[in-house]
Amino acid sequence: MEFSYEVKDSYAEVKADGRLNMVSAPKLREFVTDVIAGGSNRIVVNLENTAFMDSSGLGALIGCLKAARQAGGDLRIAAVQPQVKMVLQLTSMDKVLTAYPSVEEAFSND
Amino acid sequence: MTDVLASRSFRGLATEDAINDVHNDMDSLWLDVPFVNDMDQMTFTTAVIESASNIVQHAEPAAADPVELGVDITVEPLLLQARVSAYNAKPPFGPMEPATPGEDAESGRGLALIQALVTTVTFERQDGTSTWVLSRTSSQD
Repeated sequence: MEFSYEVKDSYAEVKADGRLNMVSAPKLREFVTDVIAGGSNRIVVNLENTAFMDSSGLGALIGCLKAARQAGGDLRIAAVQPQVKMVLQLTSMDKVLTAYPSVEEAFSND
Repeated sequence: MTDVLASRSFRGLATEDAINDVHNDMDSLWLDVPFVNDMDQMTFTTAVIESASNIVQHAEPAAADPVELGVDITVEPLLLQARVSAYNAKPPFGPMEPATPGEDAESGRGLALIQALVTTVTFERQDGTSTWVLSRTSSQD
């Protein structure tokens, strides 16, 4: 899995491309932690190219969400693909990690 | 008599690398059986990877030999089945019943997720090997 980020006007976009599994989950957590430490506490994780997520990946997203909120911000997810959406729904975590259709819409109403 | 249309088998040390190897095996398996619909492919792959990850994360060796992961998958006309095994592992490892973690918990959802994804999950213990048998009745398009 490859990670990248780009600081936008009011948030930082984190792209996570590949499989978000037990191998990559700790790396996502570390990557987002560094982005937050760099001064961005409003994070949008772009999951457009995340074809797969397991419960470890879900746990990492929750950890990142908590880290963003502890820094006074928030974390939102966008462009969720069908398998990721299924995992979110089956674990009822779609209520905690609200999925936005696009990165631009994630913080558009704040 | 069973009618196995396609299969894949993996066996190797229960390490992180094994998870991506098994995932690659499954991706190639679906190419052999394109009639298995996307939902069945997606759910079954997720269940198998969850089970294999559970072994890599939690299995402890019973003796000096390291734990090995085995994954044997078969596709029959109306049945997807995987035998996900931990060789050389202590019995049992990890919780056997699904947990109900709070919404801010970062772990503990794997077993419940597996049960939601497949039709049946059974556990076998024989000759030092723990095996989870995952079965999903293939849905018809």
